[in-house]
Amino acid sequence: MTQDIHEYLAEFDDIPGTRVYTTKRARAGYWLNQFAMSLMKAENREKWLADEKAYLEDWPMTDEQKQAVLDRDYNRLLDLGGNIYFLAKIFSTDGLSFVQAVSTMSGMSEEDYKAMMMAGGRSPEGMRSIKEGR
Amino acid sequence: MARITAGVATSHVPLLGVGIDQGKMDDPYFKPIYEGYEWSKKWIAEEKPDVIILVYNDHASAFDMNLIPTFAIGCADEFQPADEGWGPRPVPPVNNHADMAWHIAQSLILDEFDMTIINKMDVDHGLTVPLSLLFGQPDAWPVKVIPLAVNVVTYPPPSGNRCWMLGEAIARAVESFDEDLNVQIWGTGGMSHQLQGPRAGLINAEWDQKFLDDLTADPERLRHIPHIEYLRETGSEGIEMVMWLIMRGALGPMIKERHRHFHVPASNTAVGHIVLEKET
Repeated sequence: MTQDIHEYLAEFDDIPGTRVYTTKRARAGYWLNQFAMSLMKAENREKWLADEKAYLEDWPMTDEQKQAVLDRDYNRLLDLGGNIYFLAKIFSTDGLSFVQAVSTMSGMSEEDYKAMMMAGGRSPEGMRSIKEGR
Repeated sequence: MARITAGVATSHVPLLGVGIDQGKMDDPYFKPIYEGYEWSKKWIAEEKPDVIILVYNDHASAFDMNLIPTFAIGCADEFQPADEGWGPRPVPPVNNHADMAWHIAQSLILDEFDMTIINKMDVDHGLTVPLSLLFGQPDAWPVKVIPLAVNVVTYPPPSGNRCWMLGEAIARAVESFDEDLNVQIWGTGGMSHQLQGPRAGLINAEWDQKFLDDLTADPERLRHIPHIEYLRETGSEGIEMVMWLIMRGALGPMIKERHRHFHVPASNTAVGHIVLEKET
């Protein structure tokens, strides 16, 4: 069964608080993600930590992407084509765990976020569809 | 002849590797998670599989944005644990059954699955955490492992139905390998979790439990779950569960559930684990 690609993609925008990593985002975020990937190497992490702005000069990213990296604004980075597994290289270099970094995107404090997870996580009720409000 | 005897599915949360590597097995946070694997550890010690076809996804470790293979099969003799940014996990290298891996690769391509063949590749937590959960901390893994990596990061990932059909083709390929081997197939990742955006932390235990039920009760339903349902119901990373369907597709119609474990949370994730045996 062939699926219409436009209908397939349009549904993604109906999910609350979620940026699905589509090819459009992958294209926009190519250099952002490749920059993040470079932090897999210890010598690059050292250079990065010594002077973040200078390190970014070598990467053909947009000014917006560079600023969002410097600001550690992860929701903005998702909007600009970042993928979470690549962005993880940035927050890991900062010494943050997945729970700590992910909590910053949820708008909750780390403590509140952890408490929510221990209590069974975020309920899907009302979080499935913007249009249908379910 | 080689034969598939059983399927295992498990989450591959990186934190579960950290807990084992740092000796936190009895920590109150971890204990209820690891306890659910005790049965499986005894079971696999008795089953002694020769080869595991381990279906997993790479998390920006071996594959960056330069190469995004939908289905890739590891064909080298050995794979090292990846340095994911904080040093490689202290686990043994993974030894492949390379003859069988190449045989599966060529059989799948002839069977119209256009596989990517990969030799030089480090394997990340997606592959090594499941091995640690089932085998603990041995000096060497007591089994050969054929890595089968699936793209579930960049959309569109393969459909559940395509994964199922790949599983069926893998079973045919195994059966035509002329060596007497006990082969298992593992599907890893999941269950519900979302690691990004304001909706992060989503967990849907009810949906996950139904998925576990239907691996035996109604696998046809699972096969046709569209991507949008995984996204809405199980969070942006719940899509990893399509990899469980490669395992399920390879087992055929006659199977029995032997063991199940479900726990929330491990880090941001609902942990699910199931052991399915093929009935002969």
